[in-house]
Amino acid sequence: MATIIDITEESVLQVKDFEFTYAGNDAPSVHKTTMPIAKNSITALIGPSGCGKTTLLRCFNRMHDLYPGNKYDGDIMFKGRNILQAKEDLINLRIQIGMIFQKPTAFPMSIFDNVAYGMRLQGLKNKTELGDRVEKALKDAAIWKEVKDRLKADANGLSGGQQQRLCIARAIAVEPEVLLFDEPTSALDPISTSGIEELVVELKDRMSIIIVTHNMQQAARVSDYTGFMYLGDLIELGRTEEMFVTPKEKLTEEYITGKFG
Amino acid sequence: MTHTTKRIIMNNIIMTLSTISAIIGIGFLFWILGVLVINGVDALSWTIFSEVGAPPGYAESGLKHALIGQLLIVGLATVVGVPLGILAGTYLSEYGQKSKLAETIRDISDIMMSAPSIVIGAFVYAVVVAPMGHFSGWAGSIALTIIMLPIILRTTDDMLNLVPSTLREAAFALGAPKYKVIIQVVYRGAKAGILTGILLGVARVAGETAPLLFTSFNDNFLNTDMNEPMASLTVTMYNYATSPYEDWQKLGWAAAFILSMFILTLNILGRLFLLKKKGR
Repeated sequence: MATIIDITEESVLQVKDFEFTYAGNDAPSVHKTTMPIAKNSITALIGPSGCGKTTLLRCFNRMHDLYPGNKYDGDIMFKGRNILQAKEDLINLRIQIGMIFQKPTAFPMSIFDNVAYGMRLQGLKNKTELGDRVEKALKDAAIWKEVKDRLKADANGLSGGQQQRLCIARAIAVEPEVLLFDEPTSALDPISTSGIEELVVELKDRMSIIIVTHNMQQAARVSDYTGFMYLGDLIELGRTEEMFVTPKEKLTEEYITGKFG
Repeated sequence: MTHTTKRIIMNNIIMTLSTISAIIGIGFLFWILGVLVINGVDALSWTIFSEVGAPPGYAESGLKHALIGQLLIVGLATVVGVPLGILAGTYLSEYGQKSKLAETIRDISDIMMSAPSIVIGAFVYAVVVAPMGHFSGWAGSIALTIIMLPIILRTTDDMLNLVPSTLREAAFALGAPKYKVIIQVVYRGAKAGILTGILLGVARVAGETAPLLFTSFNDNFLNTDMNEPMASLTVTMYNYATSPYEDWQKLGWAAAFILSMFILTLNILGRLFLLKKKGR
């Protein structure tokens, strides 16, 4: 059985008896999972390839709904409601729960328009306010200095690490309550990676963060809680410093000591 | 003879054969272009653009009627065919995706793309010209629209498919509704490709003769009424080139030259757009 610790903080999301099945599959890819996500903390999801960590992450903003036939069971509670219900307003949900992807996803438009995109979607038209908030988001994402003189330039001209920080600026500009990171540094060089990691840690005062990573050192460096997944099961969720030193489950210990994975 | 020398000789034979084949192929292209330029430039004059067709022997003779007719017929076909094709391609790529209906539409449009254009001309003759009782510019545009549609539809579909799905997901993840994802992100990402498709589609129909023979027919005088038979460069060229009069034949060369340059320009522009996109 899985070892799930009780978190000391208030939880922002509560996963209860949750299962997820991809279209065309009989067996679920994430099995009966129950876990809290702590507010204003960083929860890392680790595990070997194919363990279901990214699949689980993409359930929190219902990304799987973009492709027909995928099935959710159980509950994911957020602000007192189950976000898996059919009547859930996905547009509104995704404004509150943002996402950063594995590969940078700069839109084919200018740097300014990229960051303004989410705010414009919400109907913000005032040029001064838009400009101020774009600047603030770019500063928060630690990329302002590099781009302030070329806000009108095509975002695809930036380097991979810059594009990823631009994507973070774009996501935090709309002030989400939860931010999901799907292996945000796996396509980046070490220097860009440490920049993104610092950024993630700084962001937790303002939002709750879930980060999927296949880099255990990264989980150990940035997260407060770590969940270890294996073959679709959540094996253990614990405080990061405890879990990496004294894991409760044998499987966790074998994984973090490099016996498999 | 050692094994290696045998291989070297074989290699040289194959290389020579393929080089000669390539030269023959390209040779014809340049031959055609050369003949066109020599005869076409010789036939060009200002009256080509300022005068309409005249009986043989008249000095003041031109192609104004055919140029304007061509622009009207192709222009209308473009105005109707491009939005229809783009919307249909958008349906296939963004909504239909891999569904049965979408795959069927793709197959049918591939078949339509290789349908002989004269068959489409005959079809429009049967459903438009015959009931109306006369040839018309409208009928010509309808025939060209039908020919253009599958080209634009398939390029749009293909080009939208090239836009990475992560880009769509990123827009959805910011809370964008589907139509905004398509218009603001997907179209922008595929802009160069779609533009190329449009240019190639227009270039393809601009050179069509057979479907126009059945539909817009011809007119030796300037006509801007789409409800009447209308001249086009291709049909005019056919008529003048097959006539026994030397000054008419010259007009035929001029028409061939102008048309070829127009289509060549569209093709080069289309390729440039694609190159620019790849170079980024």
